[in-house]
Amino acid sequence: MDTNRLTNYLPTRPISLISNEQLNVLFTHAFQMTKTFRVLFYTISVLLVVAIAFGLRARAVSMLPIDFDEDDYLRAGQEYAHLIRTSNLSGFLETNYRPEHPPLAKIIIGLSILSAPEKPLTPEASTSAEPNKYLPRTLVKPARTINAIIGTITVAIVALINPVAGLFLAIHTFTIKYVSQIMVEAVPALLSLVAAISYLKWKQSKQSGWNRWLILSATSLGLTAASKYLYCVVGIAILVDWILDAKDKDFLKISLRTAALWGVLTVVIFFIFDPYLWPNPIGRLSGSIFYHTGYSTSATEVQKAGYPMWQPIFWLFFSPTVWHKGVFPFPFDPFITILALFGLKRLWNKERLYVLWLGIAIAFLLIWPTKWPQYIVTLTVPLSFAAAEGVFFFRDNVLNVKTETRRALPWLVPGLIVFAILTIFPLIFQFGVSLTNFNTASIRDGFNGGIWRSISQGITGQLPTMPAGEIGTRSDKVNFVGLNLYPNVLSFITYSNGWSVLFFNILWTVLSVLLQCGLGLGVALLLWQHGVRLGKFWQALFILPWAIPEMIGAMMWVNIFQRDWGWLYLAADKFGKDSFFAVFANGLDKSPSMWLIVFLLPAIWYGFPFMMLAASIGLKTISREVLDAATIDGASIWQTFKYVTWPLLLPLLIPAFIVRGIFAFNQFYLFQAFGFSDSTLATLSYNIFNPSNGFGGYGGQFAVSATINIITVILLMFFVMVFNRWSKAGEGVTYA
Amino acid sequence: MRKISFLQQLATQLSLTLVGLFVILPVWGMVRLAFDGTLKGRPTEFRLLPKIWSFDAFMQVLDKPYQSVDFQILLKNSLFVSFSAALIAIVLGMSLAYAFARFRFPGRQTGLFALLLTAVLPPVAFMTPLYIILSLIHIRTTLLALIITYATFAMPFCIWNMRSAFQAIPKEIEEAAFLDGASDLTSFLLVTLPLALPSIAVAGLIAFLMAYSEFTIGWLFVEKADTVTLAMSIYAMVQSQYTGGAQPWSFLGSLTIIMSIPVVIIFLIFQRTLLERMMFGSLGD
Repeated sequence: MDTNRLTNYLPTRPISLISNEQLNVLFTHAFQMTKTFRVLFYTISVLLVVAIAFGLRARAVSMLPIDFDEDDYLRAGQEYAHLIRTSNLSGFLETNYRPEHPPLAKIIIGLSILSAPEKPLTPEASTSAEPNKYLPRTLVKPARTINAIIGTITVAIVALINPVAGLFLAIHTFTIKYVSQIMVEAVPALLSLVAAISYLKWKQSKQSGWNRWLILSATSLGLTAASKYLYCVVGIAILVDWILDAKDKDFLKISLRTAALWGVLTVVIFFIFDPYLWPNPIGRLSGSIFYHTGYSTSATEVQKAGYPMWQPIFWLFFSPTVWHKGVFPFPFDPFITILALFGLKRLWNKERLYVLWLGIAIAFLLIWPTKWPQYIVTLTVPLSFAAAEGVFFFRDNVLNVKTETRRALPWLVPGLIVFAILTIFPLIFQFGVSLTNFNTASIRDGFNGGIWRSISQGITGQLPTMPAGEIGTRSDKVNFVGLNLYPNVLSFITYSNGWSVLFFNILWTVLSVLLQCGLGLGVALLLWQHGVRLGKFWQALFILPWAIPEMIGAMMWVNIFQRDWGWLYLAADKFGKDSFFAVFANGLDKSPSMWLIVFLLPAIWYGFPFMMLAASIGLKTISREVLDAATIDGASIWQTFKYVTWPLLLPLLIPAFIVRGIFAFNQFYLFQAFGFSDSTLATLSYNIFNPSNGFGGYGGQFAVSATINIITVILLMFFVMVFNRWSKAGEGVTYA
Repeated sequence: MRKISFLQQLATQLSLTLVGLFVILPVWGMVRLAFDGTLKGRPTEFRLLPKIWSFDAFMQVLDKPYQSVDFQILLKNSLFVSFSAALIAIVLGMSLAYAFARFRFPGRQTGLFALLLTAVLPPVAFMTPLYIILSLIHIRTTLLALIITYATFAMPFCIWNMRSAFQAIPKEIEEAAFLDGASDLTSFLLVTLPLALPSIAVAGLIAFLMAYSEFTIGWLFVEKADTVTLAMSIYAMVQSQYTGGAQPWSFLGSLTIIMSIPVVIIFLIFQRTLLERMMFGSLGD
């Protein structure tokens, strides 16, 4: 609300009532108050975030079903627990079940089940096997809980830096799921965060050499590597940040030396905490790394999932709430991702490292051939930081926007919601349908969520993309066809059987508007002559076609041209074979293109009154003196029209032209009333309504209709843009 | 300017008569059918005038035009649906129209483009998605679904028109109210809205007429006889012609005439202002 102007009119308050000293005391006191309040608020919010994080994770621990891999990691944990119980330390050198992942996170699982009664080892199963549902609860509970606690600690650290980011990490459903199961995600997630933060601490201390923060950073990165390799992307981010920094400050050499030492320390720590490597470092390391490349190309479960390259992006906009109903409060993940997108720029200015971490992790996941959803956990920490900045972005840019925008908001929001629901959403929905082969046979499936299912699974590559031409049109399930319908429909629209719907539509539009304008302008000019009798009567009569509802008008014309019992045919019967009527009717039966003329008659009939009225209104604004002057100067009638009347009329005629043009382009009721089965002699609108007439072979009436619809929308979008540019004079369509 | 000569007058009147014939011919075709008392089904011979003048078809149609549904119920449905649709399009679109008319904000140009685009889309473009969506929420066969559908058809057009109506009101009047301490809402309700109301009412009238005379798309949605509107019963008659012609065509003729008369009167009275609204308010005053 713009109050400045109002305050100008208010009497100024006498401020001399309070002395300066008093004011100072007041301010200092207020400042201290706010500082105490801030600390209190901060503490409470961190505690609250930690409580939320732990609550959600504890809930997930007890409610989530046993997932893939949990049986394997539990077995690995059991082996380590056994080694510790029997004090068989040398066994660590040879034990690492599922050796593709280093042992640290599995050892921690082992520690968590130490106090639980020992159970027989979980049986080995291939990686593609269904999860073992019968794991002993006494082991699952502590093993999951330790992960959940580690996950909560991660949240606590993030919350200490930024409570909002902490909140996002606490409620991120994918993170909750994978740090609350017996997985190897929680430990490296925490360690990678520590590596990043301690590096930042070192940077803040403005030392070019070593201090304990840098040692901590290298140590935690080494430990990260000893838990799961993928999480080491943070190390790459740190190095990039380091190099960017050094370039800024011109002491690349010293920096590089420090960085190299940091790297060496990381590797040493990694080696120390991966005892499995000690007996045969090179062989086992390369074995565990190359396992992944082989795994992605050979493992049946990876092949079966068939995730496309961009699957990680999809995971970012997805949430496991649909897999596990009732475990998570709400699918927050896509919203967090969207917020993060808005916060990236701010985060870059504030702390570049997180953005680098996020970017490198995403790039890595895109390249990485396996696309399991748990990999998302590698980047949810920087994602949460970005999302927090996104919140601040909205606070600054939406709530603290210019006064005028803020004034506009209460007007905009309710209308936008309704407008989006009523018009934008149906169009988006229509686009979705155009990616499927939804038809009358699959109508039941479509109404029971089949449309959404086929689109979401199709985009993520879960379902194969069907070719549009071959799909069984009678399939009772909705299938995903991607953009395959578009080429078919486009080729039908542009050329089929020697004719083109699109060409007809454009020809139709141009001809009807020109003819309407011709007749309308002609009649207006006739009526405008000085001293025409019965002018009012004629004008009232000519308005009639405009006033009659379009469909009724169409039926009046059907009554004339309807085969066999229209007036024309009845007249042909009555007046014999040689009469004009019979010849005309015969011509209609023989040549379909005659129908263009038959359709144009009602089109002129509908449209000319509109043009006549617009022209009449325009003509009234032209003063007769100007025309008299032109006549006195010796201008002919044609010259007067061309140089005086027409230029003055044009600004009014252009909007009428556009309105009638759009109307003609969309003409539907006329063709519908004639009930013509030949869809090539009709507009696109008619084909949207009657998709099976011309497109029977392409499968999926609803889908075909949707495809024509989307193409029509794009065409009209193009028209609006062109018209808008072309006719700045016709203010009806410019949006100044 | 000189008055036209007698010959010119003659030629003019002759041309106008030709155009008049073109205008009246199809209408007359319907009138002939409506008043012909002899029709049992479709017309079988060429006639310019009814064989026997009769009001029977009108009486029949005013009683029960479609199946066994009363005319009153059809009329009531028609008026209820059309009025609600127009009201929804106007009331819900109003705030958006005002925002676009008065304020500048980021994304305004894009928003205007989206508005204009949706305003020029054919109603059929919204038909299939609405059919599916309304089926999904199980209200497709109700009058409410018709209201929502027709409101959707009319809304972009109404928003665009209301925007131009608001723009036509000088900003200074509002600013004066603002300086007197009125909030945005009060100055809108007490100053701008009353001034723009005539134009808005005409936009609403057009929305009403759209819904009143639409029947092809609505017919798809309807399953029960008690949710049929007057316009749809015409479509029902046409459909029955194709499938065997159970009812005389004079019914069709008389119903179309009954339905058209109020609309024609409205158009004759409001021609200038309706034209202006249909041209998206670009005629100015």
